[in-house]
Amino acid sequence: MSASQSAVRSRAEAIKVSRTFDWMICFVLFFIILGGYHIHYMLTGGDWDFWTDWKDRRLWVTVAPIVSITFPAAVQSVLWWRYRLPFGAVLCVLGLLFGEWINRYFNFWGWTYFPINFCFPSQLLPGAIVLDVILLLSNSMVLTAVVGGLAYGLLFYPGNWPVIAPLHVPVEYNGMVMTLADLQGYHYVRTGTPEYIRMVEKGTLRTFGKDVAPVSAFFSGFVSILIYFLWHFFGKWFGSTAFVKST
Amino acid sequence: MKLIKDKVAKLSFVALLMTVTAAMFYTPTASAHGEKSQAAFMRMRTIHWYDLHWSKETVAVNETMTVNGKFHVFAGWPETVDKPESSFLNIGIPGPVFIRQGSWIGGKLVPRSVALELGETYEFKVLLRARRPGDWHVHSMMNVEGGGPIIGPGKWVTITGSMKSFTNPVTTLTGDTIDLETYNRENTYFWHTFWFVVGLAWVGFWIRKPVFVPRLLAVDAGKANTLITDGEKKVGMAFAAGTMALVAFLMQTTNDKYPVTTPLQAGLLRGMIPIEKHAPTISVKVDDATYRVPGRAMQMTLTITNNGDEPVRLAEFNTAGVRFLDSKVWEDDTNYPDDLLAEDGLSVSDNSAIAPGEKRTVEVTASDAAWEVYRLADLIYDPDSRFAGLLFFSKENGQREMVTVDAPLIPSFI
Ligand SMILES: [Cu+2]
Repeated sequence: MSASQSAVRSRAEAIKVSRTFDWMICFVLFFIILGGYHIHYMLTGGDWDFWTDWKDRRLWVTVAPIVSITFPAAVQSVLWWRYRLPFGAVLCVLGLLFGEWINRYFNFWGWTYFPINFCFPSQLLPGAIVLDVILLLSNSMVLTAVVGGLAYGLLFYPGNWPVIAPLHVPVEYNGMVMTLADLQGYHYVRTGTPEYIRMVEKGTLRTFGKDVAPVSAFFSGFVSILIYFLWHFFGKWFGSTAFVKST
Repeated sequence: MKLIKDKVAKLSFVALLMTVTAAMFYTPTASAHGEKSQAAFMRMRTIHWYDLHWSKETVAVNETMTVNGKFHVFAGWPETVDKPESSFLNIGIPGPVFIRQGSWIGGKLVPRSVALELGETYEFKVLLRARRPGDWHVHSMMNVEGGGPIIGPGKWVTITGSMKSFTNPVTTLTGDTIDLETYNRENTYFWHTFWFVVGLAWVGFWIRKPVFVPRLLAVDAGKANTLITDGEKKVGMAFAAGTMALVAFLMQTTNDKYPVTTPLQAGLLRGMIPIEKHAPTISVKVDDATYRVPGRAMQMTLTITNNGDEPVRLAEFNTAGVRFLDSKVWEDDTNYPDDLLAEDGLSVSDNSAIAPGEKRTVEVTASDAAWEVYRLADLIYDPDSRFAGLLFFSKENGQREMVTVDAPLIPSFI
């Protein structure tokens, strides 16, 4: 068998091989992205994503979109510029959420018995869908970064609100007002996460009074734009192929 | 072809491993069993727990028990540890096997971090409700910002029953009573599943026809712009418009359903009320102190002056939660954990009553295997080789007086 001989003999077979390839690449890509993205997100978003009593109107809203737009930007850049496929952001977020749910269900609940309603992950999909669609429609990195990045930041809080709002209902507890989320943090003992490391409702946005969440979301959107640019280039660099010239 | 399949199979395996690693990467601290590994000076010179009492040894799921007692914030707080200006009264249990129904310092509820003063003694109480059956070591515990967890004495408590029967009813300010154990869980599952399916539909839409090889070839051939049809763009627009409309709609319906919500509550609590201090009537000077490694015993020469108006006797030396008692003077009736109690571990060269006004120099030996078991002897290897602890003197009327000691310790290996 000579080296130049093709591995396939017919067009039908070529299509079949290419399809097998698709499934395998998708499968592998999903898990590789999952692994890398998940570790990145745990290291940067960490407690803000783990616990409901960290999911506040200021820092969670600001931090989560900024640190989570990273991998979507990079993978979008590879899938769009090399394959013209507009699902990089959604694929990443699906992988992340899949990994997070495994972690939360089996480790947080199954192993340590924290109730799921206390340690579920944040929702990132609405922003990711819009980010992908903007890339598809604009075919422009700059527009995706600016419009998509902003939308990604802005959609985060409202996208999570249906599952978070029920936990922000106030209770009176031995003479103190708490939200149900605060109470979860107090009831379900975490020896490694003392109260003083909880970073919530801190910051300099006091002048905005009650409307702090939208302001935080805008701020987060602006930073997401910058992070998008940065990681988009990481993706471009990572996705480029260089061939060694034959001699 | 076979070769490629093998390679991809191998890669998939690597990817799966990565997933498992990533997913297993983090589990919240489940064990509070670090008491022995904590540096001895941390346990001896920071927070001294005493008069501890665990209200039950066996407790059924849904039932409550308390851990209460006192803690003294040591005046000779080590330089290397941040002062307890921001501290959190915790409970050392392996995860939420109990829920913390309440915790108090000096009668004040402390769900937040508090500021503690050096040299003061505080009363504390933690109310626990049993959740998960098993045998658990329940420690008193204080987290100090910049100092880490300071774990106090632990006692084994058995929880009986079934976790399935555990409920956690809470009444909100809007008048609803909910079970915090399962509240909002189905709602969370529902919306996460919903968006996951939408995401899968989006990816599925694009991989419905051959993806990587033909598209790569087309892009490389400069025909990238022919790859996206107008129909696909319309589907994309529908996805984005639908997503944004739904998010806005859900925001509205959620606000209608939960009209009253408040931000998370946080902040430091100040003004913890310590136990009132009495002017000390006994003064103790440590003339010297040695730790005899082979005998697992600490010897101190103490000069005790009784400035009070009642005769006193030395009853107990307490350090890092280990209690050395002179059984002729004091017997423990609080059911203190065995491994931390040396009922007859304290011997005093002359422990007859010290009369008011009397000054006496005595040899005191505190010996017990606990020195080794609890790795307290390790402090002879500390950079600042000092020991510290509490001495309790008893008066004839049964009252006790506490005196702190803090002095250099010299090891002896023979
Ligand atoms: Cu223990």
